[in-house]
Amino acid sequence: MWAYAVRRAAIGVVLLVAVALVTFVLFFATAANPARLACGKNCSQQQIKVTEKALGYDQPLYVQFGTFMKGLVVGREFPADKEVRERNPELVTDCGPPCLGYSVNVGTTVNSLIVQAAPTTISLAVVALVMWLIGGVLFGILAAVYKGSFIDRGVVGLTLIAYAFPTFFIAVFFLKYVVIKWEILPYPGYVTIADGGVFTWFENLLLPSFTLALVFMAGYVRMTRAFVLESLGEDYIRTAKSKGLRTRPVLFKHALRAALTPLVTMAGLDFATLLGGAIITESVFAYPGLGLLTVQSSSSFDLPTIVGVVLVAAFFVIVLNILVDISYAFIDPRVRLG
Amino acid sequence: MKLRRTFAATAAAALGATILAACGGGGGGTDTNSSGDTESAKGGTLTVLQHFPFESTDPQRIYYGVELSWFRRLLYRGLVAFPMDDSNEVVPDLATDTGTSSEGGKVWSFTLKDGVKWEDGSDITCEDVQYGTSRVFANDLIIGGPNYTLSYLSSLDYPGPYKATAKQQAAFDKAVSCSSDNKTITFHFDKPWADFPLAAASLMMTDPYKKSFDQGDKSKFKVLSNGPYKVEGGTWSKNKGATLVRNDEYDPSTDEPDKLRLALPDTIDYQIDPSDTAGELFNDRLIANAPADQTAITTARVAPSQFPKITGSVEDRYQNPESPYNDYLVPNFNRLKDVNVRQALAAALPLNDYVKALGGDRSATASETIVNPALDFPDNPAFADDADNDGDPDAAKALLEKAGVQTPYPIKLGYSKSPTMDKAMAVIKEGWDKAGFDVTLAPLTDTYYDVISKPDDDYDVTWAGWGADWPSAMTVLPPLFDGRPNISSTTCGNDYGCYDSDAFNKLVDQAAEATDVDEQKSILEDADKQLGEDVAYIPLEITKFNWLYGSKVTGFTTTAASSSYPEIGLIGVQQ
Repeated sequence: MWAYAVRRAAIGVVLLVAVALVTFVLFFATAANPARLACGKNCSQQQIKVTEKALGYDQPLYVQFGTFMKGLVVGREFPADKEVRERNPELVTDCGPPCLGYSVNVGTTVNSLIVQAAPTTISLAVVALVMWLIGGVLFGILAAVYKGSFIDRGVVGLTLIAYAFPTFFIAVFFLKYVVIKWEILPYPGYVTIADGGVFTWFENLLLPSFTLALVFMAGYVRMTRAFVLESLGEDYIRTAKSKGLRTRPVLFKHALRAALTPLVTMAGLDFATLLGGAIITESVFAYPGLGLLTVQSSSSFDLPTIVGVVLVAAFFVIVLNILVDISYAFIDPRVRLG
Repeated sequence: MKLRRTFAATAAAALGATILAACGGGGGGTDTNSSGDTESAKGGTLTVLQHFPFESTDPQRIYYGVELSWFRRLLYRGLVAFPMDDSNEVVPDLATDTGTSSEGGKVWSFTLKDGVKWEDGSDITCEDVQYGTSRVFANDLIIGGPNYTLSYLSSLDYPGPYKATAKQQAAFDKAVSCSSDNKTITFHFDKPWADFPLAAASLMMTDPYKKSFDQGDKSKFKVLSNGPYKVEGGTWSKNKGATLVRNDEYDPSTDEPDKLRLALPDTIDYQIDPSDTAGELFNDRLIANAPADQTAITTARVAPSQFPKITGSVEDRYQNPESPYNDYLVPNFNRLKDVNVRQALAAALPLNDYVKALGGDRSATASETIVNPALDFPDNPAFADDADNDGDPDAAKALLEKAGVQTPYPIKLGYSKSPTMDKAMAVIKEGWDKAGFDVTLAPLTDTYYDVISKPDDDYDVTWAGWGADWPSAMTVLPPLFDGRPNISSTTCGNDYGCYDSDAFNKLVDQAAEATDVDEQKSILEDADKQLGEDVAYIPLEITKFNWLYGSKVTGFTTTAASSSYPEIGLIGVQQ
């Protein structure tokens, strides 16, 4: 087990380096000139060059990448110009390892941007995960148990509707009607538990999380229904039933446990993806999480932040992948890690 | 302008839309831009619903038009400022007068009033103005703000206060000097700057900045106010905004509140929602006029899809001024070398139908020049003389025949993609196709301005937008058409058509050397005529703004000084 985990972790590190490199290459493959964008409306070519140098974009790609990787290991100090740092210690920002860089657009380190944004995204993702797991699994079981009935068809039909509408549409619909027109809920804005208490925190998360959960929930209903039905058709279930076991233990103790394995995989990966930022939901609700940070850094061609967010997202996906694989062994004893 | 700046600045400005650049604006006439309820109401909380984040709240970095005009009223007083009207005449703010010039406009002096203070209680001194001016030169650290002072002090080899040697700093301190009583600042420019007070009023590149408060990049969102309000907590949140409360150190007797800032609300609550949908939702809220939104204004324009809802009592809370921004088409001089072909494009342009496609009278006004009407600049005869603006295919065909080119003449038309622009550009294509052109539409996305500024791009014509930085065509024509600072081997800069004319450049030089504003304007009118004769641009439209506000907002007005955004210095709320 441990050898397996270490091997997977090592592969994960290599993947993260590759992701960072690809992000660098893609960034510089665009036609945009980030120095020109940063420089302002009316910059001369000479001023753009100065900005380019200040942002480090005048360096060859491999040098920039090397500086970034070195920062991850030993940290960095900003501004990059050593002379400015020595003469103006009050301007210096220390970025300890693993330093993801410095966002000139916001005037702080990428690490601190991510630390500020992560709780929002984690809150959103956790509440949404709970919503879609509870709703998805319960409705999925319901549809499976009442297969072919009005309930089954109704639940499956509703999931199709939820699937049909993109997250963007659902979010705007909720804001326009539930909040503005019908005034059922206040206009959501992220409030930390420390600032507003648990109730306010949850009340403000309700709509964005439900928006996020809805599409996932639709998928989980259909998957749960399919997996449970598949399990219910297995020989060991027939055996259990023929031995006189009641329906509830058969369903929950035997059929559902087998159906859970692929659901855990899905949930782990979906959750990991969300931790990298729920881009559409955060953008529509203006929740200052990693998703909104991604959008803002992309639109302003803020390379250090883009790379930082991509790396964090990749980190979550890789780590949760490993955890999901390991969890198989506990959920399904037939699985052995080697 | 367009909400994407990202500059932001340039892109923003040009993307047709919203925020950048400075003054200008207005249009529509003052009398049409005021709300019916102008009764002043002191106290209460004004809510500002803002649909985009500011790039910075550091005065030397600010370049968004609405931020410049609002912060000038609320937080950052300048040496001089524009009054809350459409006059474009500066009045003293921190200074005792609007500046004294000598040596033909090369030297400008301003003396600070007594009793003007920072929010920490310390006096605003000449050294603060000197230091604020010096920060602009550190364009490796103070990035993104307007930097015109660099070109007027270009003889200085000055890297800004963070890196300057003693010798460099001494040279700067001589060029931008303080009197012995630390009250009078004198700018010794390399060349005449006839409209310097206009620039100082519009932009914040010569605003004071307290040295001990400066932490370079770390000060990007910190605010040390000298206006009637201060930021609660001292730090602006980029994505959330801030609460502005009264600044106890502000003394109205050092100000002219009736002209510059009434400062009516006790509190101003900036609520930033930087989402793509926020603008439309804000206006939905203002249409609904729920109690919590009755004291709110917004930076977001009403979307064309919401126009049908502006009826009855909602219409009483609606204003539709012309913006400070003009859109135009740019022929590519590396490809369309024959002036007859360019003239044919101008002649065949179905401008009226184009404006209808943009949303009609509420969205735009057809323009006969690239210079915004708020600058009191005449139409360009090359475009105004013909003109019913319906497009004349026959005249265009005759011009193409004169050019001796084969028809249909292929044209690749680049523009910044959006559903509205797709429709509007299709109208242009139809008009030009009728006139003997074969137009291929080429919509582009985020990197638009970087793509069209490349000298070797294959676009024959591109769309662009611009707004003046202060009420002078000097901030329109030279930045856009003087090839010398713009064109290099890799880019044409803001001169998207790579236009480079000795005749035009000579006029620009003359305008730059002019010792007074009227003389300068006259020369720039000739320069614009030259551009028209060369068809260096084809004017399209003046963008219009659409503003809604809550029913308990008082004094809602837009002015040239507010860049046609709500004039926040006049606005109050009913209790």
